[in-house]
Amino acid sequence: MVLVLALGDLHVPHRAADLPAKFKSMLVPGKIQHIICTGNLCVKEVHDYLKSLCPDLHITRGEYDEDARYPETKTLTIGQFKLGLCHGHQVVPWGDLDSLAMLQRQLDVDILVTGHTHQFKAYKHEGGVVINPGSATGAYSSVTYDVNPSFVLMDIDGLRVVVYVYELIDGEVKVDKIDFKKTATMLHS
Amino acid sequence: MQRDTDILAPLGATNPSQQPSLSCCVPTCRSRSAAALLPEPSRHEAGAAFHLLPPRPSRSFPMRKKAARVVPEWLNSPLWSAPPQAPASPDPYGADLSPPPPPKPQPPPTPTPTVPPPSYEQAVGSSRRARGEAGWEGDGEDEDEDSGGAALRAHLLSDFKLALSKKVINMGELRRLACLGVPEGGAGVRPLVWKLLLGYLPIERAFWPHELQKKWSQYSAYIDEFLLNPSEKIRRFEETKLLRKKELNSDKIGLLPRSEVTNEEHPLSVGKSSLWNQYFQESEILEQIDRDVKRTHPEMSFFSTKTNQESLRRILIIFSKLNPSIRYVQGMNEVLAPLFYVFMNDPDPSNSASVEADTFFCFIELLSGFKNNYCKHLDDSQVGIRSTLSKLSQLLKRHDEELWRHMEITTKVYPQYYAFRWITLLLTMEFSFNVFIHIWDAILGDPEGPPETLLRICCAMLIIVRRRLLAGDFTANIQLLQHYPPTNIDHLLHIANRLRGSVAI
Repeated sequence: MVLVLALGDLHVPHRAADLPAKFKSMLVPGKIQHIICTGNLCVKEVHDYLKSLCPDLHITRGEYDEDARYPETKTLTIGQFKLGLCHGHQVVPWGDLDSLAMLQRQLDVDILVTGHTHQFKAYKHEGGVVINPGSATGAYSSVTYDVNPSFVLMDIDGLRVVVYVYELIDGEVKVDKIDFKKTATMLHS
Repeated sequence: MQRDTDILAPLGATNPSQQPSLSCCVPTCRSRSAAALLPEPSRHEAGAAFHLLPPRPSRSFPMRKKAARVVPEWLNSPLWSAPPQAPASPDPYGADLSPPPPPKPQPPPTPTPTVPPPSYEQAVGSSRRARGEAGWEGDGEDEDEDSGGAALRAHLLSDFKLALSKKVINMGELRRLACLGVPEGGAGVRPLVWKLLLGYLPIERAFWPHELQKKWSQYSAYIDEFLLNPSEKIRRFEETKLLRKKELNSDKIGLLPRSEVTNEEHPLSVGKSSLWNQYFQESEILEQIDRDVKRTHPEMSFFSTKTNQESLRRILIIFSKLNPSIRYVQGMNEVLAPLFYVFMNDPDPSNSASVEADTFFCFIELLSGFKNNYCKHLDDSQVGIRSTLSKLSQLLKRHDEELWRHMEITTKVYPQYYAFRWITLLLTMEFSFNVFIHIWDAILGDPEGPPETLLRICCAMLIIVRRRLLAGDFTANIQLLQHYPPTNIDHLLHIANRLRGSVAI
């Protein structure tokens, strides 16, 4: 039972001041084992805050990040799953699922986590699953102003992943969950 | 001061007409200290006089009638009638071990037939005489204390086995035997004895399989209920609800379907009823249990193995969940460890699969008498740890007012400074492993019940070192009591036994 928090595109302080209060009250240290962040934090203070939630923090570089040392892509293995991380502005057209699938095949991962579009998405194709946690602060994107703050918490348990999606809709936190298993096709890919 | 006439008189005060009165229940059979029956003259101290019999070569015991036996040479030797050294203060117990305690503690007299251990006799009662007589003859001329001790041990062992083999166990008998302690080589006997004494097994042998089966299945139910983390629980719950349609979707390509989360059952929830929330709140206790299990008896390789630590961990977790009022208190691992060790080392293979379950239930039984000592809320109440400590104090006052006064009033060494650990950990930290297992035999076997017996033993511990305590100040006494010196266990249990009958305050 490994809890992995996936979030990104906070754009603090340029486009948003901070995480919504309701999200912040839920995110307490000690519960989460890993944090993966798609990028665009943008400042070191956010990095430190995330580090305080969990020491195991993985970040990739977004185009507005002030720290140039983050990598463009990252892969990690948690339990039975390989996770890939990339901000997504490198993949053109932005948010295009086929192109992301291509990236996923290149990285050879089961779950690819990308951002940049500020819209939550969870999509499955033969190669695996693509998850976009959206923007944790609800910052506006290049595409749209209408953004709901959202982030994703994955519960990895053996060959099964339960993805809990936290969205702030009209001031209320709404939680959904998505369940999927690592199938034979994915195992062989 | 002849308060206690049946106590061993110091050598100097022998009264030849007096019966050799090692009073009841000195467990002589356990002469692992191999009965220095012939103490060297240099060890002859007034304080140690207790251990030596008054010189009486041809005593006749009321209880034993023997054919004429040859009196061994040594019994007539002059050292038995050394000039008495008058003890400084009349020692009501004659029990003082003057520091340092004699390294080869002269236990009460032992195995050779002409010096029969009257204590054993008295303790065991008349029914034994016939058997005992027959059994003892083997060592007639043998002056080797070891083989004598071994014969006694073998006898005790066979007595145990006899008592355990009956269809309906005679608990009174078993308790009597247990107070003498399971002898060495009794590894096969001890688990069964403890299980019976703790009430885990019923008295009728015929019911054992049924009871055991019940308990084992209950334990597995507990494991299922308490040891799963929330994601496993939720998965099981969903599987039982036959949400199999998700399987069909697994090969579909496209946006993954989202399902609503009900009842705030998500990992970050702060809802009271949420499984996740409860799980995280308990994680602190789990961590504590984890840490303590890893620290249990590090010197013993038995407790360093992963499987054993896992078992201990599981037992403690389930216990803490079943008892929300006391949860887990540091030190419970120490109380659990000997139980687990004894049951694991049971040579009887039929029990090996169920060691954990047996240990768990016996642990519950054992703690049931002491539960109140662990509960924080009850600390100051009539039944909590403070009142237990004050009971100890009262017990000491009744039996040894001088020592009590010195401790409580003059040096202000209150029981909470030293006896807290004695009581909550059932003496596991004061003595070495084998020693306290032996003490536990007596604690569990005593018909008065473990809490009372424990108090008596603690009081006896104080009385044994009374001379040093009386001579010491606050620091010295605290140091002494917190690092209790190794002592002769038979002696300790003997003293504790003598305090019987006056616990109720």
